[in-house]
Amino acid sequence: MSLIDTLAKSEDMISPGISACVGCNVELTLRTVFKILGPQTVFAIPPGCMGGVGVVGWDKLSGAKCPVFFPLLDNTASMLAGIRLGYNARGRKNINVVAFAGDGATVDAGFQALSGAAERGDKILYICYDNEGYMNTGYQRSGSTAKGSWTSTTPVSKEGSGGKRQHKKDFPIIMAMHDIPYMATASPAFIPDLVKKVEAAKQIDSGLAYIHVFNPCLTGWGIRAEESIESARLSVKTNYFPLFEARNRNIRINRKEKSPLPVQDFLKKINKFKHLKEADIAELQELVDKRYRFLEAMEKVSDQSFFK
Amino acid sequence: MEKDYKAPVGEGLYLINTGDWRTQFPAIDQEVCTRCGICLMYCPVNSVRLENGRFTIDLSFCKGCGVCAHECPAKAISMTREVKR
Amino acid sequence: MSRIEVMNGNKAAAWAALLSRPEVIAAYPITPQTPVVEYLTQFWADGMIKCEMSEVESEHTAMSVLSGASLTGVRCYSATSSQGLSLMYEPYFRASTLRLPIVMNIVNREMISPQTVWGGPQDSLTLRDAGWLQVYVENNQEILDMTIQAFKCAEDDSVLLPINVCYDGFYLSHMAERVELPEQEEIDRFLPPYRSQHILLDPDKPMAVDPLTNGYLLMEYRKKHMEAQQAFKQILDRTDAEYEKITGRSWGGQIEEYRTEDAQYLVFTLGSVTGAVKEIVDRKREKGIPIGLIKVRAVRPFPIEKIRAVTKGKKGFGVIDRNVSFGWNTGILFQEIRSALYGSGLELPYVSFIGGLGGEDFTLDLVDQALDSILENSKRGNRIDVSQWLWSPRKGVKK
Repeated sequence: MSLIDTLAKSEDMISPGISACVGCNVELTLRTVFKILGPQTVFAIPPGCMGGVGVVGWDKLSGAKCPVFFPLLDNTASMLAGIRLGYNARGRKNINVVAFAGDGATVDAGFQALSGAAERGDKILYICYDNEGYMNTGYQRSGSTAKGSWTSTTPVSKEGSGGKRQHKKDFPIIMAMHDIPYMATASPAFIPDLVKKVEAAKQIDSGLAYIHVFNPCLTGWGIRAEESIESARLSVKTNYFPLFEARNRNIRINRKEKSPLPVQDFLKKINKFKHLKEADIAELQELVDKRYRFLEAMEKVSDQSFFK
Repeated sequence: MEKDYKAPVGEGLYLINTGDWRTQFPAIDQEVCTRCGICLMYCPVNSVRLENGRFTIDLSFCKGCGVCAHECPAKAISMTREVKR
Repeated sequence: MSRIEVMNGNKAAAWAALLSRPEVIAAYPITPQTPVVEYLTQFWADGMIKCEMSEVESEHTAMSVLSGASLTGVRCYSATSSQGLSLMYEPYFRASTLRLPIVMNIVNREMISPQTVWGGPQDSLTLRDAGWLQVYVENNQEILDMTIQAFKCAEDDSVLLPINVCYDGFYLSHMAERVELPEQEEIDRFLPPYRSQHILLDPDKPMAVDPLTNGYLLMEYRKKHMEAQQAFKQILDRTDAEYEKITGRSWGGQIEEYRTEDAQYLVFTLGSVTGAVKEIVDRKREKGIPIGLIKVRAVRPFPIEKIRAVTKGKKGFGVIDRNVSFGWNTGILFQEIRSALYGSGLELPYVSFIGGLGGEDFTLDLVDQALDSILENSKRGNRIDVSQWLWSPRKGVKK
């Protein structure tokens, strides 16, 4: 069956009417991921956009067709670890135990829980949707926000000075360094790649599987609704967010841009960067290049047989 | 009849009529459509249907984002302003 | 055949957990609880206990892992103390409002600052309004017996709330006493397997757990939670009686009454200090002084009815607190007892004491001083609203 057939025929496990922003590519990611995972799935959505739009439901109704719950902002991975242990205790296998968490809940508050679960090898699938901030509560900055970004807690003055003062945490690499059996970056602009990665992660039963999805936020960053996918595509084509996998610390870069576009092409369509000066953009370009070189170097010393 | 619960749980599906939101709606020109399926792949609200090799849009929950029209390689989808009902 | 061993309080707690067959245990060390998780992981390594064991990376995670496991409908156990308890406060509060019948021993330890590791019930008493059931015990046998009973009470269909069985750090946790271990078969008959139906994450029966909730519905859930706390009173008394049939031991249920029937004066205690106070009560009785003791076991729900009933006809009472209630200038137990008696028509004289904090011993001399003060103030009809501080004199140390 072709991918389009699969996506057309798989049941959408999420309620058809949730109040995500018009064109939101996190909603796209959510629906796609859970089409692939299917009904034998239990998932956690910590406080954030997807919880806020109704995926966990309201009052006595659910927002999904499989079991879903709100963990706390900082304990998603821990609660899921407990759920996996509970099923183990009763001898129940073949249930996907999944997190669908924003960058706030993953890179900031929930990092301890995730790191501990990764170290213990708790068998969960943790998916982070990285929209570079606490978007549901009004676009506050997180550790995953790019340097220079306007956010509601790193605002910009009328003269154009301000914005986040620190670089974005290189979180996919941090997770890869936990030596977990599977780590992947993914993009809503590259759906076949995302689907392959969800399927690969679903197979992992030797420890924690982690997928980091990069989701440009239309409302929070100031992007036109119809450019939702284009923006995500540019993030990959500029190497701002390269697509790669890691298995037990062995790196494979999935998509190598022959001529990566300048990062400016990604930044210029996004309002939260419109005040950046040339020097700021150059600094971001340098960071993108440095991180990519590092990635290439790691790929050189990696054992590619892990990817057969 | 609403169930009486001891603890905070929910059963049944909560849904918002997001079809009411839109200010524009998409239409596929079937003559121009190349059946690539990219619109189905990228629709955030899962509103593109595939039946007998034909792609159509179910407007029930379509928010009118315009991603399908923007991404269609054949430019087969056009967005039309929604007339106030 | 049950067998008799000599063991410290932590080992008694670990044995109680073993006998109750928990399915998931979260283990994280903190003084003075650490030996509990050491014993449990040793039992697990030796194959004496079959469960999923998670050596978590902090107490916040311990409570989170247990919450997740409990949501799949399995029996869960852990233990902690002071700083660990306060660290897990975020998921701890939620365990009760999600109605998860988790059992957790609290090895009572003073809260820092000043820097301390020693015993005292400040940690768990401060969190008494987080919705958990709380029972305090006096000796190692009671730790074992009550922890086993805790599973049965918590999992009762009319209760379905998490429960703390609290015992003093170092005074009980690290002190060896004679403990009788019941047989596994007896406990299996007493404690059937846990099967949750009220809140569950199961793909065969899909539910959303904890949807966003409007105020009117939140109020309904809170009311049901409060009613479940009240239901526990009867369940505790009944479970104590059932356990007595198996082991011959009863601990009194919500409260323990010691020489109260013919008493005219009462002293209320909590936890291990009860042993010292019983000793002085006996000495006073030898002198013909009609004083009796109430050991408060259940602090949540507070045994208002039992306390009113036992105080009827008495001439005065006192309370010994090894904790403080900042802002009230008294201890916590005193505050709760005085509040329980108000409106019952019992306008008795009272006095209360704060002592034995942070590992400072509450010696027999201090108990003697306290009981004398109760008698004195009762005879004079005094109601002393500020707690009296008691500690042993030391050269050069200001009071």
